[in-house]
Amino acid sequence: MSRLNRLSNRFVQHSQLHENWSATISDYVIDLAWSPDGRYIAAASVLGPVTIFEGRHQAVIRTFEGHEFGTMSIAWHPDSKVLASAGQDGKIRLWDITSGEATHSLDGGAAWVEHLAWSGGEKPILASAAGRKLKLWNAVGDLVREYPDHQSTISDIQWKPRERQLASITYGGVALWDPQQSEAVRRLEWKGSALVIAWSPDGKHIATGDQDSTVHFWIMSTGEDLQMYGYPTKVKELSWDATSRFLATGGGLDVTVWDCSGRGPAGTKPIPLSGHRDFISVVRFQHSGKLLVSGGADGLVYVWELQGRRSSRVVHEATLTAGVTNLVWSPNDQYIAVGDELGGVSVFSIS
Amino acid sequence: MNTAILNNQVPVTVLTGFLGSGKTTLLNRILTENHGKRIAVIENEFGEIGVDNDLVIGAEEEIFEMNNGCICCTVRGDLIRILGNLMKRRDKFDYIMVETTGLADPGPVAQTFFMDTEMQEKLQLDSVTTVVDAKHIWQHIDDSDEAREQIAFADVILLNKIDLVTEGELDQLEARIRNMNSAAKIYRTKNAVVEMEKILNVGGFDLDRAMEVDPQFMEPEYPFEWAGIYNLSAGTHELVLQEGPDPAMKLALVPVNESTDEALEAAVEPVVMVFSDDEHELSAGGTLQPSGQLIELNLTADELRFDAQIDRTGAYALFTEHHPDEFQAQLFGSGALVKPVVEREFKPDHEHDDEVTSVGITTPGDLNADRLNDWIGDLLRTKGPDIFRMKGILSIKGESNRFVFQGVHMLFDGRPDRPWGSEERYNSLIFIGRNLDRTELTEGFEACLA
Repeated sequence: MSRLNRLSNRFVQHSQLHENWSATISDYVIDLAWSPDGRYIAAASVLGPVTIFEGRHQAVIRTFEGHEFGTMSIAWHPDSKVLASAGQDGKIRLWDITSGEATHSLDGGAAWVEHLAWSGGEKPILASAAGRKLKLWNAVGDLVREYPDHQSTISDIQWKPRERQLASITYGGVALWDPQQSEAVRRLEWKGSALVIAWSPDGKHIATGDQDSTVHFWIMSTGEDLQMYGYPTKVKELSWDATSRFLATGGGLDVTVWDCSGRGPAGTKPIPLSGHRDFISVVRFQHSGKLLVSGGADGLVYVWELQGRRSSRVVHEATLTAGVTNLVWSPNDQYIAVGDELGGVSVFSIS
Repeated sequence: MNTAILNNQVPVTVLTGFLGSGKTTLLNRILTENHGKRIAVIENEFGEIGVDNDLVIGAEEEIFEMNNGCICCTVRGDLIRILGNLMKRRDKFDYIMVETTGLADPGPVAQTFFMDTEMQEKLQLDSVTTVVDAKHIWQHIDDSDEAREQIAFADVILLNKIDLVTEGELDQLEARIRNMNSAAKIYRTKNAVVEMEKILNVGGFDLDRAMEVDPQFMEPEYPFEWAGIYNLSAGTHELVLQEGPDPAMKLALVPVNESTDEALEAAVEPVVMVFSDDEHELSAGGTLQPSGQLIELNLTADELRFDAQIDRTGAYALFTEHHPDEFQAQLFGSGALVKPVVEREFKPDHEHDDEVTSVGITTPGDLNADRLNDWIGDLLRTKGPDIFRMKGILSIKGESNRFVFQGVHMLFDGRPDRPWGSEERYNSLIFIGRNLDRTELTEGFEACLA
């Protein structure tokens, strides 16, 4: 334990995070999303219901019934007026925040719809992944495109930052899709099971966290790839900082940060951030700032300041009564919303 | 702390068996008889047959290869996803049943519970239970890797549809299965009717119960399956057989002192030696004598009658390679049926030359930990793909606690168990796999003794 607490003990001057409010939803917070305008927090329970909270104080604006058998993910339309949800009933639903009504119920194409992602830009497109099916929808529920089935279940999707290109991952690698074309525009093959994808904000790298306890880097300009070994468990937690220099990863008790500047991360030693006492469940850099927040199954939330190998430190911390399942920064980077295994939703401020 | 975590683990039974074996009947029975419990069912042949339960989840049998250092193995990606999601709910399930397709290799399913930390933490693989169609398995057992693997991986085997076969056929099937997997518990069922405690919470993958296996596999193996002592009067007797599963059968007839269990026991060792001699072939109509010779009856004729010439009234022991029931063998003296006074069944050795077998090793003494590590490491590296299951209990020199372990292919899980205390220290382990070399394994293991 002494080794684990090395960094947090050396710098004891960190403060407790200030809790603005907290509330409880029906069960495990399976997804949590701050509306792009910063007004609302949507929290989805693994049982199904989706609760919309006021961001600044504890007030429930709406409760949507979500999905029978359970909701799996939620995603805000960039205009913050529509929330999309996906669930174990095979449906994608669009909810109107103003009226509180479900405006559309769409067929994902498999028993479970697991992932959703809105594109940016004019007339945003919603991508849905259900089993091997990848579909694109517009904001009024029209099917824009259905791609040919993937080789195996799609484990994650993400739009390229600032561009209309979608990346999907499966066992077997990454595929890139253009909404204007019916076939994949590029494939990055790798015989392994990727679980999560994170595109660097500058679009130059794609990182995946993998089932076999590795992190994979793809350098998009050349198609070269690197694999980072040595994680104690599968890696489901990835986050790039705003400058695209640092990639924070979970996959164990330590947060491991790779520096991609210069020739990195190839041949470099990552920065380990120690302090958690159980597996890390989420890592998130601020949207534009330098702070990194991590949450773990131990219920601990640490806010880290990254200053290099020796001088990175915890600046704030909070302790929850249940394991952290999700963390999101408010769009202005001043607040952190946290969800936990028992349905707790809390908002902390860092100033 | 570990106890609390363990108590929260949800048990999982993996149900395998060929299509039509009675898997779904068993599943429905489990759901009906455990009414009120929350049982989640993960099915591969989703939609084909209705299972009467709300919590049925279809799975796609996605097999992922995983590379972890020097270990390469396959896991079920779909199960990791589905089970991971189920375990997030606060109102946890009481039990999870994973039904595999008829043609599934149980290896990836079992390995999933070793290779994924989340699965290891939250779930306890309770057993692999295999349902065997007692009538139709013969069509598969010789030419289907999957059928053999399903038997080899099993902790529990149901010989189902016993109403469609004879007792003799069942005995023969059970002997064959025992030979492949001597650690499994075998139950004979009709319509998959079996007491629930025999298939649920049996702890087949539980290290604490790793060695609570049928002690039969510790028994030595014999070249014969059956022996009986007859009281025979002087004269000619007739041994009559019917067509059976094999074209020939070895036997030996020897005089013994009296018709008691003790006399039979005393004859076993000498007759084992007889069975290692060259056999004398005897065709139908031929005469056999209580000579202590190894006879091989040729069983290819239409009429399978053999004379037995007895010169002196007394007790005689007959040792047969196969169970006499398999050939409906009967002995007649002066036209009347003669029944054995005492009889005994023996665990057969490799009568069928199956490529899938079990090797059990039991030996007293302490092990040298370093040598054992090297040996196991090397064994798993070179023979891992052929070792389906292994489990055991070990006595390591200098350690006051028992060490228990189990493995699936190259994956190995072991830990110290309770102290030996005053109990005599010993080692006992079993390997179930393909093309196992008994001598090599036994010698390799014994070389690890300190």
